[in-house]
Amino acid sequence: MPPRPAKRPPRPLLLARRKLLLALAGAIVLVVVLVVASLAFRGSDDEGSAIVSTERDSSEYLDGIPQNGAILGDPGASLTLIQYEDLQCPICKQYTEGGFEGIVAEYVRSGDVKIRFVGLAFIGPDSEKALRYVLAAGEQGKLWQMNDTLYRRQGDENAGWVTDGLLENVAVELELDFAKLRTDASSASVTQTLDSMSAEATRREIPGTPWFYVQVGDGDPYEVRPTSLDFGAFESILDAARG
Amino acid sequence: MGDRLLRGLVALVALAGVAVAGYLTYVHVEAAALICTGGGGCEQVQDSRYAELAGVPVALLGLATYLVVLGLVAWDSELARTLTAAIALAAVGFAGYLIVLQAFVIDAWCIWCLVNDLALVPLLALLTVARLVRRETARP
Repeated sequence: MPPRPAKRPPRPLLLARRKLLLALAGAIVLVVVLVVASLAFRGSDDEGSAIVSTERDSSEYLDGIPQNGAILGDPGASLTLIQYEDLQCPICKQYTEGGFEGIVAEYVRSGDVKIRFVGLAFIGPDSEKALRYVLAAGEQGKLWQMNDTLYRRQGDENAGWVTDGLLENVAVELELDFAKLRTDASSASVTQTLDSMSAEATRREIPGTPWFYVQVGDGDPYEVRPTSLDFGAFESILDAARG
Repeated sequence: MGDRLLRGLVALVALAGVAVAGYLTYVHVEAAALICTGGGGCEQVQDSRYAELAGVPVALLGLATYLVVLGLVAWDSELARTLTAAIALAAVGFAGYLIVLQAFVIDAWCIWCLVNDLALVPLLALLTVARLVRRETARP
């Protein structure tokens, strides 16, 4: 009986290919598991974000609340919530559509709190154009309606979404005098307000938006850091400030 | 390229990954993640419903993956090399999925996520596969 030939060890290239295939098979299984898990166990709209947004289509919740330039609410309110915002900031949009409405309903409408708007334009050119029109709307007593409406129409950052057409439509919707709005938006007065808001943010070293300060009476404003941007987080801050 | 050099490069890329994934984990869990800092769509991506997987931040999964890779590089056995390559290849697939999400679902780009998904992860896969193949073919 002829001797059986000795079993040859696998060639290195074959061995390498085998290990690579093994790694690839493991990788494919892992990717499938991860993608399926990501789709199945992704956060819901409510829990993925700490902000609960509403699907509002108008600024009517602001109707009847006194406005004076950048201030919303009773000028005599002892508590002031100062908001630093950028009209292009998606988190500001979510806050405005969420927690802000609750604050207005529960604290501003009752005259306990007034809110001061401090607009910033650090994200890009669309931020400044939108901010100028928001400040200009303040000249016609509708800064907050303009602010709210532009957030609802917010586009992608610096995509050129703040068009003249959009601004004219918003002006018509809010019953603003568009010719005056356009003139005011490029006026020296609006430029001065914009610069002073920017200087205030720089002085306070505001790291981003939305950012908040609270002022009790004429005291020094102090920074507050809500744990989330929903109404509940502000409720505890404002109640604590009221004492 | 020798195995020692490849091993060092894998460790280097994994360390860079720890830094990037660590930063992304920090900004996700820190309350300051709820602000826009002018860094593009990072806030939108980090705040999206896909930023967590069963309650665990995806960035934290990335951080854990890079730490496991570092551990496997230190272990340095046949099995460790195969596992490292498998993990790195899986990371390429998952990074591709995350890029698709940013492009078509979230509609925003996070620059640090892209650094990870387009640079670090593919580089890690390339190096770990090269190491696996080279080790076998270089044997006498």
